[in-house]
Amino acid sequence: MIGEIAHFLSLSAAVLFGLILIFNFFFYFGKASPNQLVLSTRLFNQACWLVFFSFGIYIYLAINDDFSIAYIASHSNTQLPVFYKITSIWSAHEGSMFLWIVFLIAWSILFIKSLDQNHPLKKLTLLMLSLIILGFLLFLLLTSNPFERILPFGALEGADINPVLQDPALAIHPPMLYLGYVGFVISFSFITAYLVNGNFSLQWEQDIKSWSLVAWIFLTIGIALGSWWAYYELGWGGYWFWDPVENVALMPWLAATAFMHSLFASSKSNVLKAWTMFLGILIFSLSLFGAFIVRSGIIDSVHSFANDPQRGLYLLTFSGLISLFAIGVFAYRLPALNSSNLVVTGSKESFLSMNNILMITSIFSIFLGVTYPLIIESIYSEKVSIGPPYYNSIFAPLILIAAIFIMISIDALWQRRMSFRTFILSILTPTILSVLTIYIIWKITNVFSVLAFIGILSGLLILFSYSIKIITNFIDKKYINKGSAISHIGLGVLFLAISLNSILSYEKNLNLAPGQSIVINDSLKDFSFKSIKVLEASNHDVISAEVSVIQDNRSLSLNPQKRKYTTRGQITSESAIKASVLKDTYLTIGDQLDNGSWTFSLKINYFIKWIWLSVAIMVFGMLLTIFKNKTS
Amino acid sequence: MNMFLRSLIVLLPVLILIFFAKILLVDDEIKFKDFESKNFPEFSLNDLNGDPVRAQSLDGIKLVNVWASWCITCLVEHPFLTKLSGQNFKIIGLNYKDSNAKAVAWLEKHGSPFLFSIYDPRGDLAFDLGVTGAPETFLIIDRKIVAHIQGEITQKKWDAIFAPKIFKARQPS
Repeated sequence: MIGEIAHFLSLSAAVLFGLILIFNFFFYFGKASPNQLVLSTRLFNQACWLVFFSFGIYIYLAINDDFSIAYIASHSNTQLPVFYKITSIWSAHEGSMFLWIVFLIAWSILFIKSLDQNHPLKKLTLLMLSLIILGFLLFLLLTSNPFERILPFGALEGADINPVLQDPALAIHPPMLYLGYVGFVISFSFITAYLVNGNFSLQWEQDIKSWSLVAWIFLTIGIALGSWWAYYELGWGGYWFWDPVENVALMPWLAATAFMHSLFASSKSNVLKAWTMFLGILIFSLSLFGAFIVRSGIIDSVHSFANDPQRGLYLLTFSGLISLFAIGVFAYRLPALNSSNLVVTGSKESFLSMNNILMITSIFSIFLGVTYPLIIESIYSEKVSIGPPYYNSIFAPLILIAAIFIMISIDALWQRRMSFRTFILSILTPTILSVLTIYIIWKITNVFSVLAFIGILSGLLILFSYSIKIITNFIDKKYINKGSAISHIGLGVLFLAISLNSILSYEKNLNLAPGQSIVINDSLKDFSFKSIKVLEASNHDVISAEVSVIQDNRSLSLNPQKRKYTTRGQITSESAIKASVLKDTYLTIGDQLDNGSWTFSLKINYFIKWIWLSVAIMVFGMLLTIFKNKTS
Repeated sequence: MNMFLRSLIVLLPVLILIFFAKILLVDDEIKFKDFESKNFPEFSLNDLNGDPVRAQSLDGIKLVNVWASWCITCLVEHPFLTKLSGQNFKIIGLNYKDSNAKAVAWLEKHGSPFLFSIYDPRGDLAFDLGVTGAPETFLIIDRKIVAHIQGEITQKKWDAIFAPKIFKARQPS
C-alpha cells in the first residue's frame, strides 16, 4: 500500500509537469498574464515536492525490507546494515535513475527559486526544465519502474546487494557524479531559454555562473571518487582505464571545464558568447549521451546496467530530441550571436578560444574512441578495442599545447594584444626551469618515454609559470586571481603525477608457496609468503595471505585477501596497500596452482596519491572562485 | 557565419543519432548478449522418488521452477506451467524447503507439469542459484542459466523475458 502511494505520487508529479507544459503551450502565443507564471511556478514546486516525498517513501520501504517491491527484493537483504539498505537503492538501474531524477528536480527547484519573479527568462527556463524532468520521469515509470511489485506474494528474503557495491564509496560516488551530471541542466535550460527568447541584450552569465561552478565541483569529485574507489576498494590496481563509461563522464567534464573558462571571458566581453553558449549546450547533451551509453547497454563495460534495447531507444529518442532542439535554436540564432568585435590576437580571449578548440578536439577524440568499435562492428562485424595507447598518444600533444597556452595566457590581458616583451618574459623563466628539471628527472630515473616526458614538461610549465606569478605578485603586492592560480597548479600537479606514475610504476607477477621468500630488486628485498588462512565471516569466506616485505630497509606486513560471498557466489579480491608519500605498494592474491603455490600480483605505484591530491587542489581553487563570485 | 556551417552544426548530431538508432534497432541480436549467463551450479541431490539427478538432464532447453507445497503463488502459476508443459516445454521442478510426502501429495492433487522434481529440503541448490523465495523460474540452455524470473511466471513475463531467448536458441547457428 505504501509502495502504491509512492508510485502514485511520482505519477501525479509526471501529470503535473505535463499540465504545466500543456497549459503554457496553449497560452504562450496569447497575451501572457503575470498570474500564469505564478501558477506555473506553484505547480512546478508542488510537482517537485511530490517526487521528493515519493523518494522519501521509497527509502522508508528499503529500510523496512519491503521485498514485495521487485527492485528492493533483488538488491537488498534483511542482513544488510541500514546504511547499505539505503545505498542499495542506487546500486542498479531503476533506483539510480530515480536518484538521478530526484537530483534533477532538486537543482531545478533551487534554480527556479533563485530567479526573480520578473526575470524575463524565468518562464521559458521553467518550461524547459519541466520538459526534461517529464521526459526522465516517463522513462522511469514506463521502462524502468522501481515500484513494480512481485504479486501476489513477495519474496521472503532479498537477493542481497552486489558485494563490490557494499562499500562506503558507493554511498558517495554515484550521488556526487549524478549531482554533477544533472547540475548542468541549469545552464542548458537557461541558455536554451535565452536563445528562444531572442533578446540578446540581456546579461545572462552571472545568473548561472555559481550554479555551473558548483556542478563542476560535484562532477570533478564524482569522477575522482570513482577512480579512487576502483583503485583502493575494487582492486583494479590503477586509477584510470579509459573504460567507455569513464570516457562518457570525462567528455562532459572537459566540456564543462571549457565552458567555465569561456563563461568568465564571456562575462568580461561579448566576443566568446557563441562559444560559451555552444559549450553550455554541449555539456548537458554529453551527460545525456553518457546516460544513454551506460543505460542502453550498447557498450560492454563494468558499469553497464542490464541490457534493454527498449530503454536505449527511449533515451536516445528523448535525449536526441532535447539536444537537437537546443542545438537547432543555437544554429538558428548564431548570426545574431556573433559579436562584431573580433578576438584580438594575443589577448586573453584568444588563448581561451585556442583552449576551447583543444578541449573540443579532446572531446571529439574520446567520442571517436568510444564509438569507433561500434562503427567497425556494425560495418565489418569485427570486434576491435580502443585502449590506453590511443588515448595517450592523442592526449600528450594536446596537453602540451594547452599547457603552453596556459603559461602564455597568465600575463595576457582582456581584449588587448600582449607585447612581445611580456610574451618573452612570461615564457622564458618557466621554460628554462622546466627543461632543467626534466633533465634532472631523466638523470635520476634513467628512463625515457616521449609521451611521459611531454606530460612532465606540460605539468612543469604550468607549475613554474604559476608559481613565479604568485611569488612576483606577492612581492609587488599586485592582485592575483587566487582561485584560478590554485586550480591551475592542481592541473600541473595532475599532469606531473600521471606522467611520473606511468614511467616509474612497475608490476611483478610472483608465484610462491607458503614459507617461501624471494628477492625482487634493490628496493624490495625479502618478499616472504608466511602463511595462508581460511576464515569464515558473516556472509562470506575469506582466504587471507600473510606476507612480509623489506622495502627500502623498512619492514612491511601485507594481508591480501580473497572473499567468496555465499549468497551470490561472487569472488572479490581485497588488495593489501601500504602507502608512503611517493609510492604505494599494492599486493593482490591470485589463484592457487596445482602444486600448492599461489600467484601474487605486486604493483609499485608511484605518485598515485598525488593524482587525487591534485584533484583536491583543483576543487579547492574552484571553491575560492565561487566564494569570490558570491562576494563580488 | 554561412548557412553551410550552421546546417552542419545540426546535421552532425542528427547523423550520430541515426547511427546509434541503427545499432540499437538492427544489431540487438548481436549486441545484447546476456551478461548474466552463467553455469548452473553443481549439485548432488535426488528427485522426489529418491533417484539421483544427473547433470545431463539439464542439457538442451529446460525450465527450472522453484516450488513448494506451502507456496501459494506456486499454485497460482500452476495452470500456466501446465499449459507450458502441454506445449512440450521441459520443466524441471526444484522442490524447495518442503517435505517429500507433502510435495508428492501436492503433485498428486494438482497434477505435475514437471519431468521430475529435484528434492532440495535444506535449500542448498536454491541457495547456490541465488533463490530468494518460491516461486522462481530459471531458463537453462545447455546447463547455462540464461534468464531468470522472480515471483509468479505469467504470459507477459514469458513473452518479454524467456520467449526471445528460446527463439534465439532454436535458430540454427
